[in-house]
Amino acid sequence: MFRSLSLTTRLTLFFTLAAAAVVFGLALLVIAASERHFIELDHMALQDKQHLIEDILARSNSAEDAKWLLREALSHHHGLYVSVHDSKGETLFQSEGFRLPRELSPADEGNGNDALIHWADEGQAFRGMLVRVIPAYDATTRLDILVAMDTAHHTRFMLELRRTLMTYAVVTIVICGLLSWFAAYKGLAPLRAMKSRATTLTSQRLHQRMPVEAVPIEMADLAHELNKMLDRLEDAFTRLSEFSSNLAHELRTPLSNLLTQTQVALATRRDADTYREILASNAEELQRLGRMVSDMLFLAKAERGMMLPNRERFSAAEETHALIEFYEAVAEEKGVRLAQRGEGEIVGDRLMFRRALSNLLSNALRHTPPHGEVTIEISQSSQATRVSVENTGEDIDPRVLPRLFDRFYRADPSRSHPETDGAGLGLAITRAIMQTHGGSISVTSAQGRTRFCLEFPGGT
Amino acid sequence: MKILIVEDEPKTGEYLRQGLSEAGFVVDLAQDGTDGLHLALQGEYDLVILDVMLPGLDGWQVLQSLRHRGLQMPVLFLTARDQLEDRVKGLELGADDYLVKPFSFAELLARVRTILRRGRSGNESTVLRVADLELDLLRRRVSRGGRRIRLTAKEFGLLELLMRRHGEVLPRSLIASQVWDMNFDSDTNVIEVAIRRLRAKIDEGHEVKLIHTVRGMGYVLEAPEEH
Repeated sequence: MFRSLSLTTRLTLFFTLAAAAVVFGLALLVIAASERHFIELDHMALQDKQHLIEDILARSNSAEDAKWLLREALSHHHGLYVSVHDSKGETLFQSEGFRLPRELSPADEGNGNDALIHWADEGQAFRGMLVRVIPAYDATTRLDILVAMDTAHHTRFMLELRRTLMTYAVVTIVICGLLSWFAAYKGLAPLRAMKSRATTLTSQRLHQRMPVEAVPIEMADLAHELNKMLDRLEDAFTRLSEFSSNLAHELRTPLSNLLTQTQVALATRRDADTYREILASNAEELQRLGRMVSDMLFLAKAERGMMLPNRERFSAAEETHALIEFYEAVAEEKGVRLAQRGEGEIVGDRLMFRRALSNLLSNALRHTPPHGEVTIEISQSSQATRVSVENTGEDIDPRVLPRLFDRFYRADPSRSHPETDGAGLGLAITRAIMQTHGGSISVTSAQGRTRFCLEFPGGT
Repeated sequence: MKILIVEDEPKTGEYLRQGLSEAGFVVDLAQDGTDGLHLALQGEYDLVILDVMLPGLDGWQVLQSLRHRGLQMPVLFLTARDQLEDRVKGLELGADDYLVKPFSFAELLARVRTILRRGRSGNESTVLRVADLELDLLRRRVSRGGRRIRLTAKEFGLLELLMRRHGEVLPRSLIASQVWDMNFDSDTNVIEVAIRRLRAKIDEGHEVKLIHTVRGMGYVLEAPEEH
C-alpha cells in the first residue's frame, strides 16, 4: 500500500510524523518535569511544617501545653492539614474539617520519616507526610504527626498545562504537515520538469534532452543517464529510419525504371529484338532486386539471432586461397596485385566466412586504383584468429568509417555506380556474420591504406 | 521428360509451365496440394516441383505421401521461407534440391537439368567436343581447330562446365557455385570477367563464336547448328 503513495505524500507523512514525535515528546517531558517540580515543592513545604511541629513538641512541657502551642501555631494555615495523635488515640491537634485517612489512622510503625503519601477523600486529593516522634514531656508515649496539603490547585494547573501543550502540539503538527507538503512539492519540482520534458519526446522529436543543469545534483546523474539512453535511442532510431528510407529509395528506383521501361515498350509496336533487349534489361534489374531482398532477409535473420552458423574447424588460409582464385581474374584486369600471408584456423561456418571475406575483397578491389595491391593477412593468437584485408588507395574520411557498416550506406552519396556497387549491403552482411560468430570487424584508414580486420574468437 | 509443378500462385505456376515447356519438357500444373498429390500418384513424372506453402496439403505433406507410397522421383522445393529449418526439413524428408524465392528462371532450369542428369550415368567420355572445340579431361588439354589453347586451371573448369552443359543457359550463380564453389550471391562481375577472358582465348580469331551471353539469364556455349 505504501508503494502506491506519491512521493509528496510519503515525504509529507515522514516529516509530519517526525514533527509529531518531537513535539509530543517535548510536551511529555515538560509535563513530567512540572509534576516532579510540584512534588518537590510540596515535599519541602511539608517538611518545614513537620519540623515546626517537632520543634513545638520538643519545647512543650505537657500535653496540654503542646495542644495549646500547636493550636496557636497551626490554626490559621490555609490549605494545610495537620493531625497529631498520641499512641493511646488521643488527639493533640486536628485541623478543622480534616479527617484522617482510614488506612493511615493506626499509626504505622514501619513508615519512613519523610516519604510522601497520597490519598483522596471526598473528591479532594491530599499529599502528606507521616512521622512518629517522642515528645519531650513524656518519653513513654509516641506521637503520630500527619502533615498534609490539598493538591487541587496543582492538579488544576497540570490540567491547564496539559491542555495548552496539546493544543500547541496539534497546531504545530498541522503547520509542520502543511510546510512539509509544500517543501516536498517544491523539492520535487525538477522531477515534474523532467516528466514534462519526457512527455514532449516523440519519435519525431527525439533530440529533446533532460535539463541536466537545471536539476539538483542528486537528479543530475539520473538526467545524465537518461540523456545517454536517449542518445543511443536517437542514434538507433535515426539509423532505422534512414534504413527504411534507403530501402524505399533502393526499391523505388529500380521499380520505377522497370515500370517506365515496360510501359514505354508497350506503348508502340516494336520488333522482336527490341522486346528481347527490354526484357533482358528488366531481368537484370529484377535480379538485382531479388538479390537485395535475399540480402535483407539474411540481415534480418542475423539481427533476430536466427542465424545458426555451423561450427567446423577450417583453415582460413585455404578458404582465402579459394577466394583469391575467384577474384584473380578481376584483379588482373584492373592491374591490382592480390597477395595472401599467414596461417590460422577458424571454428565457424565456412560458407559464411567465405561470404564475409568475399564482400571485403570485392569491396577492396573496387576501391583500389590500378597498380595498387590488396593484401590478406591471417594471424592467430591464443585468443583470436584475425583476417585482415588491406588495400592501397584513397583514405576514407574518418568521420565516415563507423558508418561504413550501416546498411545501404555508401561513402559516395551520389550512388553513381549502382551496377558495380551492389546494394550497399556487403559490409553490413559481413558485420552480421562476424556478430553471429561472436567476433568483430574493425576498419582503419590512413596513409593511403585501408584495412578491414575480421576477428574470430577462439584462436588455437 | 515429364515434370509436375505444384504451385498455388497462378502467375508463377503459369510462367513456370510455359518456361519449362519451351525448354522441351512435358509439364503439368496443379494448383493445390491435394490435386498435386493425385496427379503425382497417377502420371509418371520424372520430377516434381513443389511449392512449400500450398492450400490443402502443404509441400511437406505431399512429399511425405509420395515417399510413403514408394514413389522415389526427384523433388525440387520452392520456398519463400528463407529459413534454415525449412532447408533441413526438406532435405531430411527426401527432397533433392530447393530454391528460395525469388529465384531466377535460369537458375531453376539449370537445377532441374542437374537433377534430371543425376539419374543418368555413363557416356562419361574423356574428351568433350562442341563443333571444332575439343577438351581432353585426362590430359587437361584444350584445342580448337587443332590449335592448342592454354588455359588456367579455373578457366579449364569453367570451359568444362560450359561444354558438359552445352546448349544450356547457365546463370552466373550456378557458374560461381560449380567452378569456384562460391555458394552464395557473390560479385557477379567476377563471372563476367572470367567469361570474357575465356571467350578471348576460345573465340577470338574464329569466325564461329561458341560462347554467348544471354542477357538477363547467363551464358551458354553452343555451336550455331544447335540453335
